[in-house]
Amino acid sequence: MAPRIAVLGASGFVGSRLVELWHLTGWASVRPVVRNVGSLARLARFDLDWRLADASDQAALTAAFQGCDAVVNLIVGNPDVILANATASYRAAQAAGVKRMVFMSSASVHGQAPAPGTDETSALHTHHRFAYNTAKVLAERALTQLRDGGSVELVILRPGIVYGPRSRWVSDIADQLLADRAYLINGGAGICNAIYVDNLIEAIQQSLTSAAADRQVFLVGDRERVTWLDVYASIARALGRDLTRITHLDPPQFSRGLKHTLSGLRVSKPVQALLPLVPATLKQAVKGAIKAATASPNPSKWQLRMATGPVVSEEITQLQLCAVQLPCIKAETILGFQPKVSFAEGMRRSIGWLRFAGYPLPR
Amino acid sequence: MTEQQPNSQSTPLRIALIGCGAITEQYYAPALKEAGKHTSLEVTALFDPAQQRLNAVEPSFPGATPLIEFEALIAARPNLAIVASPPKFHAAQTIALLGAGVHVLCEKPLACTLVEANQMVAAAQTADRLLAVGLFRRFFPALQTIKALVAGGALGAPTSFHFAEGGAFNWPAASASFFQKQHSQGGVLLDLGVHLLDLSCWWFGSPASITYADDAMGNLEANSHIQLTYTSGLTGEVRLSRDTPCSNRYVIEFEQGKVVWQVGDANHLDVRFKGITFPLSGVLREQSSGQDQAADTYNQSFVRQILNVVAAARGLETLRVPAAEAISSLRLIECCYANRQLIPMPWLSPAELERAQALATNSALTPSTSL
Repeated sequence: MAPRIAVLGASGFVGSRLVELWHLTGWASVRPVVRNVGSLARLARFDLDWRLADASDQAALTAAFQGCDAVVNLIVGNPDVILANATASYRAAQAAGVKRMVFMSSASVHGQAPAPGTDETSALHTHHRFAYNTAKVLAERALTQLRDGGSVELVILRPGIVYGPRSRWVSDIADQLLADRAYLINGGAGICNAIYVDNLIEAIQQSLTSAAADRQVFLVGDRERVTWLDVYASIARALGRDLTRITHLDPPQFSRGLKHTLSGLRVSKPVQALLPLVPATLKQAVKGAIKAATASPNPSKWQLRMATGPVVSEEITQLQLCAVQLPCIKAETILGFQPKVSFAEGMRRSIGWLRFAGYPLPR
Repeated sequence: MTEQQPNSQSTPLRIALIGCGAITEQYYAPALKEAGKHTSLEVTALFDPAQQRLNAVEPSFPGATPLIEFEALIAARPNLAIVASPPKFHAAQTIALLGAGVHVLCEKPLACTLVEANQMVAAAQTADRLLAVGLFRRFFPALQTIKALVAGGALGAPTSFHFAEGGAFNWPAASASFFQKQHSQGGVLLDLGVHLLDLSCWWFGSPASITYADDAMGNLEANSHIQLTYTSGLTGEVRLSRDTPCSNRYVIEFEQGKVVWQVGDANHLDVRFKGITFPLSGVLREQSSGQDQAADTYNQSFVRQILNVVAAARGLETLRVPAAEAISSLRLIECCYANRQLIPMPWLSPAELERAQALATNSALTPSTSL
C-alpha cells in the first residue's frame, strides 16, 4: 500500500510537480496542505484529499497531518514564515504521530557562492547578506534541536538551483531574454548548482525510505557540471534569441545605500523601543527628510530616452560568481541518490513547459 | 404570478442578494451603494446558507433582512434578485425567483449546462420577468469600441485573434467550491472562459469549428487552450490559466491594423495602423453632462450594469445583456468539454502520461454537444 504523505507547501513549483508525479505514478497517496483556498487552483486538476492550514498554525497542521506516515515540508515564504513553520510543523508532526519529515532547506545556507571544499560538514553562520539564507540556517538548527527531543525522524535536503516546469529560473530567464534584459557575469562561466525538479523528488523519495537518513543533511544536485552560460544558452536557443543580445558584465560592486541603512536601523530593537516615545509630527518630519534625501532627481526635460540595460541583482551576481560544484557524495552513499534526468533532458522538459505556458517558441 | 414593479425613480426598487461570497462582498456591495446614489433602490434581503457569510455582508446593508432559508427569501418578494451563489445553484434559484415574479440578474456563468440555461431563459419568458446575466465586460467602453471596429470595418475585416487571460489564481474565494467538481462543473474554462467566449461570440459570431484541450486529470482544469475557425476565414486562439503567467492581452489582427486590449483596462485601447510606425495607446473618452471626460472604468462599468438592470426592471431601458445572450458562449463551453483532449505536457514520463490520459478521459463529459 502506498504511503500517505502530507505535502506542506504543495502549491509551489516543487510541491505541484511532486504532487503531480506521485499522484500519477501512484508512488504515494498525497495529501496537499496549503495555506488558503486559492492555493488549490493548480492542484485541483487532480481529485485529491487536501487540507487547509496556515504554515505557522500548529493545531491546524496537526489536524492536517493526522493519518499521514510522513511529511514533506516545502514551505516557501519570507524568513518569518520559514522560521515559524519549522517549529510548528515539527511539533504538529509529532502530535499527529508522523514517522518522518523531510525538510527542504537550501544550498544557500552555504551562501550563493560557497567556498571551495564546502560540504555538509561545513560550518554555517547566521550573518548572510540575504535574510532567506539565514532563515534556512536557523530553521535547520531549530528542527535539529527538536529532533533531539522528539520522535519524528528528520531528513534535511539542501538543493541548489531547482529548475523545471513552472520554475522561476526557467520563466524569469525566458522573460529577461525576450525583453533583452538578460545578463551574464564573467561570461557566464560561474557554476550553476542546478538540479532538475524530478531529480530532487527522487532524493525526497529516498529520504523518506532510507533507514540511515534520519538526522542527516544532504546536498543534492545534478550530475553534470553546468555553467550559467549553459542555462541561458539553452533557453535562448529555444526562444530563437541570439546569444549576442545577452549583456556581458564584469562583477558589479553592491553597496548598502542610505535608505537600506536607515531601514535596518528602524527595525533594530533599541529604535523600536524608543519609537513609541517619539511624537508623530517628528516621525513624519524624519520620514519626509529621508524620502527627500533618497529620492531620484527629476530627469531633465531635454533628456532623450536611453536604452535601458538589465537590472542587475546582487543575489544573481553572487550565484553567477559561484566557482564550486557542490558535492553529492553523501547523498549518493547514504541515500543511493543517482540523478536520472540529465541537464539536456531537464532543459528539454522545461522548454516544453514554456511552450505549454504560451511562450513564443519557434516551431 | 406577477407584481407591479415600481416604475418611478422615487420608489425604491427592492433588491435581494442571493449568495454572500467574495463576488457579493467585493463587487455587488460597493456597486449597489454607488448605484443607489443614481437611482432609487434598496437592498432589502440577503441570503446565504452560511451565517458567517451573512455576517460578512450584513454591515454593508444594515436595513436588509439576513436569511439562511431560500424559501423565506422568495416569500419576501423582492422586485429584483441578484443571484451570486455558486454556479451549481444558479438554475434552481433563478427559476424559483422568476416563478415568484422576481426579475433576476444572474452572475456568470449563467448555468453549468446548456440545458439549464435554456430552462432559465424559458422560465423568464413564461413568467414575463427579466433575466439578465452578469457578463459585465460588455459595459466596458474598450470592448464596445472593439465591437464597433469589427462591425464597422474601420480597420478592415478581422483576420485572427489571440486572447490570453489568467495567471496565478488570486481571487479571494470564500469557499473551496471553485475547486470541487461536485460544486463547480468546470474549471478555468467555465470561470474565465465564459467572459472570453461571450466576447468572441458578441464580436465575431459563432465559429464554424473549435478544438479544445485542457489539463483536468480527474477534477477541474487549470489551463485551457482553444482554437477557433470561422467561415469568414478568421481564426482565433484562446489561452486561459489559473496556473501559469499570462500576458492578459487580447490581440485582434485586422486587414489594416491591430488592436490590443489589456485585460481589465475598461477604457483603454492600443491601436496599430498598418504601415504606420507609431501605435496609438490611449484612454477612450465620452461626452457626459456636456463634458468631455474619460469613459467608464472597470468599477464604473460594473455599476452601469446594475443601473441598466434596475432601469430595465422599471421599464425605462432595454436590458443590455439578457440571459439569452449567454447561450452562445455556454454552447461553446459545453462543446469544448464534450470534445476535450489532454493538453500536451512534455515533462510527464510515459507512465505518468498514460495515467494522465486515463484520468482525463474520466474527467470528460459525455460527448453530446456540437456546434
